[in-house]
Formats: sequence, structure tokens, C-alpha cells
Amino acid sequence: MSVIFECERVTKAYGGLLAVKDLSFSVEEGEVYAIAGPNGAGKTTLFDTISGVSPVTNGTIRFYGQEIQRRRADDICRLGIARTFQTTVSFDTQTVLTNVLVGAAMGRPGTGKITLEFDQEAIQTALDVLEFCGLLDKQDWPASSLSVSERKKLMLATALATKPKLLLLDEPVGGLNRQERSDMVEFVRKVNQLGITVLMIEHIMKAVQALANRMLVLHHGEKIAEGVPSDVLRDERVIEVYLGGKHREKLSDNGGR
Amino acid sequence: MEKLMQAIYGGIVYGSIFGMMALGLTLIWGALRMLNLAHGSLYLVGTYIAFTLVNILKVPMVPALLIAALGTAVVGFGIQTLLLNRILGKPGWDVGSLIVGVGVGMAIDQSILLIYGPRVKQMPPLIPGIFKIGRVVINYNYLVVVAVAVISLVLLSVFLSKSRHGLAIQAVSQQPDAAQLMGIPTRTVFLIVMCISAALAGLAGALLSTVYQVQRESGANAMVMALVVTIFGGLGSVKGTIWAAYIVGLLQSFLMVYLGAGTALPGVFLFMMLMLVIRPSGLFGLGEAQRL
Amino acid sequence: MIQEESLSTQSVATRIEERLKPSAVPWSRLSVLPVVIALLVSLALPWVADLLPFGKFILHLLILFFLWGIVVQGWNLIMGVSGIFSFAQVALFAVGAWTSGVITQQLGWSPFVAMWFGPVAATVVAVILGLPTLRLRGAYVVLLTLGFQELFRNFTTQGPNFVAGGGYGLRYVPKFPFEEWVGGDKAQFLYYYLALVFFVIATFAIWRIFYSPIGMAFRALRDAEVYAISRGVSPFRYKLFLFGFVAFFTGWAGAFYVHWYGAISPAIMLFGTTINLLAMIVLGGWGSFWGPIAGCAVLTVLPEIMRAVEQYRILLLGIVLALVAIFAPEGLFPLLLRWVRRLLGRQTR
Repeated sequence: MSVIFECERVTKAYGGLLAVKDLSFSVEEGEVYAIAGPNGAGKTTLFDTISGVSPVTNGTIRFYGQEIQRRRADDICRLGIARTFQTTVSFDTQTVLTNVLVGAAMGRPGTGKITLEFDQEAIQTALDVLEFCGLLDKQDWPASSLSVSERKKLMLATALATKPKLLLLDEPVGGLNRQERSDMVEFVRKVNQLGITVLMIEHIMKAVQALANRMLVLHHGEKIAEGVPSDVLRDERVIEVYLGGKHREKLSDNGGR
Repeated sequence: MEKLMQAIYGGIVYGSIFGMMALGLTLIWGALRMLNLAHGSLYLVGTYIAFTLVNILKVPMVPALLIAALGTAVVGFGIQTLLLNRILGKPGWDVGSLIVGVGVGMAIDQSILLIYGPRVKQMPPLIPGIFKIGRVVINYNYLVVVAVAVISLVLLSVFLSKSRHGLAIQAVSQQPDAAQLMGIPTRTVFLIVMCISAALAGLAGALLSTVYQVQRESGANAMVMALVVTIFGGLGSVKGTIWAAYIVGLLQSFLMVYLGAGTALPGVFLFMMLMLVIRPSGLFGLGEAQRL
Repeated sequence: MIQEESLSTQSVATRIEERLKPSAVPWSRLSVLPVVIALLVSLALPWVADLLPFGKFILHLLILFFLWGIVVQGWNLIMGVSGIFSFAQVALFAVGAWTSGVITQQLGWSPFVAMWFGPVAATVVAVILGLPTLRLRGAYVVLLTLGFQELFRNFTTQGPNFVAGGGYGLRYVPKFPFEEWVGGDKAQFLYYYLALVFFVIATFAIWRIFYSPIGMAFRALRDAEVYAISRGVSPFRYKLFLFGFVAFFTGWAGAFYVHWYGAISPAIMLFGTTINLLAMIVLGGWGSFWGPIAGCAVLTVLPEIMRAVEQYRILLLGIVLALVAIFAPEGLFPLLLRWVRRLLGRQTR
């Protein structure tokens, strides 16, 4: 397996506050890599810097060996990195199809020029993605009328429509009920099986354990553990520092939340 | 030296006046996230209530001022309960509230025109007379205006930072969702903010009717300066707005004294635009959280 | 990957057709017949109007409708479709008018040559003004653009004499030489046709943008900016394009205006004009294509009919504006359309 994505000594500061400190890790092609950590650990900040939404303060981020930390967010998307957001977001006033078309027409590699026509490839990509996500029947619904889990899926669909090599998922199962969670886990696995590498933020351990090949635990912007989930979750430091005493039983119980 | 004195004196007078107008705008922005373009019209409501009471009904000035402030607050109450409450918290609030402001403003301005006619009117000063320091002419009336403005600004600051309702307003301004979760009745808070803001505008309108002439354009002019001040201070910041009021007041006064009256308005506008480009969050603003 | 099942182009086309629902797509086709009819009617209109008692006046109103129609459609693209609260559109109109007017007055060029410099100047100004708005949003954009309009108004009242004309703005601007061509009577016809050409070109261009990937990108940026950027929409590219594109047509309308009236006053940049245009968009239908055009038609004609009760009209307009914003935020025109459709639907059933 080869390294597809790499963060090297990445630091992100807001004023005097260090949200991410000197963080290094790498993701291999085809794997599912999870980042866990309590609220305020700097996970979403990390995603913001990777996806170009806010600039890194220090360090390098490489994608297929190419430095991307100074690129703009829309550019990074066209390179093949697509992200989702922690809060479910959609283009509310637009139809489901149009939502996906935005990604397919603007975010695929080689697109991005201002054009007057929708090219056939974009339309086809959008339809394929909708079919894959099971949203084809609802293509003419306004995005705002979908249920929460459908909107989450739509957000993922728009990401897939950009034909990413690396998918960044910010809490894919957050806010879902038990049934929807296991559906989403299944769905992420299906996406991964297409050959798309997944880097995800998740603090629901059950989902992490079900999906991740490797994981990393972030605390106050620093890496405190990295490795195979079963090892990491047994790490004393992780249990003590990050989850606190009261979660100990739950964790060893293999449960998470 | 006299020029300098003149400029500083003018700046303090302008600053006090701008402060009263701008504080109302900034409070509404902070709590409701609404750019209230009817604010100038509320100012006019105050002006014309005072005019009616003093010139037509021969009520003494002090009760007239109070009634003007109260009456304008009632109008604000009406706008909030009859109109704004219906779209509060719904998608499209920014657009909707902006247009409601424009529409209500038009309706108020036009009603005033229909009732009072287009003629410019005069009000007697609160206290007539002048005295001189060196060759700078100081008007008693201006001093009263400054005093009332400063007293109301101080009272409001104390109210905001000390009283229960004031703290609730601040909480809602900073974290509306969290405030609601903590059991603060946000709708009541919005209503209070709207009433206070309207009362301030009305009081400013009534006070200034003794300084300027009573005419329809004065509402829009006052609002424009208030907008400039809120930008300087950072929309939503109370402390920033009060500082900014005096800074803009001094700026305008200095431009008028040293470069001529015609340069004041363009100069201030140019400054505002530069401020927006260089430091959009204002002198003291906290900046806007990026939305998705 | 999902898309990697290689399909021949032909079967791709059919696969698209059979899966696509027409009600879901963001594009639109122009139906030829109504357009041809509308064009024929507008071509014949001056001749018909000439037979009516107030023919000259009707023509005048139509030309006004074309001009403000261009401005309003552009503004709707910026504000309704893209959600950028620019309040400087009348200033851009004025930049176009002043540029072209001053060129004809000071350099003695023909209006037909000068009128191209108006839109170019407006475009340049709009792009410069657009740069800071990339970082600002909402109320801040309102203030920046209002500030610009005030500054420009000030410049045209107090600036050098060849711009301000002692506070009256531009007067005695050379008009298009239509009167010399066809005589005073029919000159208004040529003004009408020229305005019609402007209007049709602008409307078609805006229609193309509205239903293209560009329009989709604008709406995406409006609905959720950071999300749209993360899906490959470049805000920089699209917003500057938007500002420049709209300003070009707005400046064009301004240039036409000045060579039609032969004068322009700084008073046009008072807040009242802006509010009137805003009302056209809001009443017609914020963000819809036909709504603002319909709103413009109604609010161009209404003031002229209601001139006797002008003051009550403004009062009423204010109240209606506030009520529409609350009870019919998508505008009156879409609402009417839906009622008509429902009525027709009932009849066919």
C-alpha cells in the first residue's frame, strides 16, 4: 500500500491559541483512517485546514506527494479531496439533483471553468451518484424537505459527485438513531469498497471500530495515540486523558456510546 | 487654537448625538441580527411627537421628551409584535427583516409627510442663550443635548451590564441558541431590545428637533451617520459603538472646521469604506463567525 | 469507481434520458413560439400605440420599463439569485450615464461611440467594489455599497464642474441623433427600438446565466457558501464575474438613459430610486426569473397612473412591501402564477 495523504508537523493557531499542535500522520491508499477526540480537540479545525477552508499556520500537507497546504478550497476539491461537514448542510432551495450537480459540474478534476452548458458527463455522474446513494427517486425534491439522515447522505453524495480519491467525513453518524447509524456505517463501507480512501472524524467508537483500519486520538490539538483501533482503545492514556474514568467500563465493554 | 477648541466642542456634540442613534441600531443588530433600516423613521416619530406636544399642545419640553421616547417605543413594540415576530427565526430572516425595515420606514416617512406637510418647522431650544470661552461660542441648548445623551448612554450601559434583563440581552446577542437553551425567553428579550432601541431613536429625534429644523430628511441623515458609527464600532458591540460615536463625531467636526463643511460627509464615508475593507469587524467588533 | 463502468456515448445518452426527471433539473429550454410572439408584439407596439390617445406617453413608459428592467434583472441576479446585498446598482447606472455623457460633452464624440465607455467604466468600478465584498457579508455589504453610492452622489453634486454642473448634474447632453434622421415625430420610435434591442439582449444574456451552471453556482454560494466552495465553486471567480457582468448591462442602461433624456441629475441616486427598484424585485419575486420583470412592469406603470395620489401610493407601497416580506416572501408574481395554475388545473380535471 502506498501513502496517499500526509500531514507533517501541521500547526493551526487562532490568535495565541493552538488548535492543532505539530501534528503528523499519514493515510494509506484504500484504507479507512479515523480521528477521535473529545469536543474541542481540534478535529474539525484539522479538516478545515486540510480542505483549504482556513489556512495552516505551519507545516506541510501532501496529497499524492504534492504539497497542497497553500491551495484554495475549491482547488483542493478538484484535486480529489472532498469533505463533509459536522452540521448537516445542503443547498436548501435547490433540488436534490441540483445539489449533486454542483459537485459533479464544479468539483470534478478538470472542471471549474465558467461555462454556460451542463456537460453530459457531469449529468451522468450526478445520476450515477444518486442511484448509488438511493436518492434517485427523490431527485426533484427540494433538499430542505429531506429527513436528517437523507440530508446527511445527500451531503455525502455531493462529495462523491466530485469523484474524490480521498473523502473526509466529519462525524458521519453523528445525530443519527441506532438504525440509521448502522445503515451509514454500511454505506461508508460501500464507498470505501469503490476504492475511495476515507479519513473520518468520529467519536462514536462503535462506528470507528466497525470501519477504521487505523485511528488516531487527538487531545488539545495533539496526537496522544495512533494505531489499530483495538489497541488504541485499550491504551491507558487514551482512556484516562481523553475519555475520563467514568467511560472506562463502557470502552472495555466494546461499546462506545 | 480657537479652531481646535471649536472642532473638539463640535465633535463632542456630534458624538453624543450619533451615539444615541447608533446604540439603538447596534443593539438590534446584536440581538436580532437585523439591519434596521426603519431606524431613521423612528427618529422622525420622536421628532414629530415632540413637535406636536410642544408647538401645538403647548406641553413643556421635559415631559414632551419623555412622551416622545415612550411613544416611539410603542411604535417599535408594534413593529416587533405585528410584523417581525412572524418571521423571527425562520429562513430568509436577513432578507425579510431588511425589507420589512425598508417598507415600514417608507410608510412612516410618508405618513408624516401626509399629516404634517412638506414645510420645514422650528422648535424652541430647551434652554436659550449662549456664552463664550475665548471666541468659541457655546450654546446652552447643545450642552443640555449632550448631557441628556450622555446620561441616557450611561444609564443604558449600566442597565446592560448590571440588570437581569440587560444581561439576558447580552447573552442572547452572543449566543442566541445557548441562551434559549438556558431558559432565557428570547422573544421577550427581542421585544425589549426593539423597544429600547426605538425609545433611544425617538429621544434623539425629539432632542435634536431643538437643534436642527424639523424636517423629513433629518431621519435619513441621522440614520446614515448612525450606520457609519456602527461600522466603526463593530456591529453589535456596545462599548465599541460609544467610542466610535465620538471618534466619528470628532472626525466630522475636524473636517468641517479645517477643510470646509462640504468635505465632512464624503470624508466620513470614505473613512467608513476604508474601515470596511481593512477591518470589517470594526474597532472593537468580535468579527462574524463564518457560516457554512 | 461507480462511474467507471464504461458505457458507449449513445447508451449514455439514453441512460441519462430515462433516469432524469424534468422537474429536477436546473436548466430550462426556451419555447420558441411565445418568444416569437412577444418579439412581434413588441416590434408592432409603437405603431399601435401611435393610434392611441396617449401614444407618446405609452412609448415613454415602455422605454422606461426597458431601462429599469435591465437594471432590475441584473440586481435580482446579484441579490435574489446570489444573495449579495449590493445597494449600489443605481450608482453603477449613474457611472455609465456620467461616463458616456461627459465623453460626448467634453470630447465631442458621437453618443453611439461614447455609450460603450459607460458600461466599461461601470464594469471596472463594480469589480473594484466587488473585491472587498468577497470578504464581507450581509449587512456589511449593504453599508459598503450604500457608502459608495453616497460618495458618488456627492462627487456628482460637488465635484468639478464638468461632472457636477453646479449641483444639477449633466445637462444638455447630446442625444442620439434620431430626430435629425427621421424627424421629431418618429424619433421616439427609434429610441424605443434601440431600448428594445438593449432589453432583449440583456434579458437573453441574463436568462442564459440564470439557467446555466453559472446560475447554479450563484445559488449554491447563496445557500451555503463554505459548502459550495468545498464542492469546487470558486467564489472569487464567480462573484467577480457576476459583478462585472451585471454592471456592464446596468451601465449600458445608464448610458442609454443620458442620451435619451439629454440630462441626468444626482438626485437619481437618492435612496428613493433604490427603494423603488428593490420593491420591483420583492413584489415581483426575489430570485425568480420572470418575477422582477413583471414587478418592473407594474411599478413603472403604476406611479404614472397614480400620479394624482402619489403620496398615498408611496405609503401603500411601503405597507405592501413589509407585508409581502412577511406573508409572501417569494413575491407576488410566483404566488399569482401558482393560483392561476391551480385554477387551470381544476378546470382540466
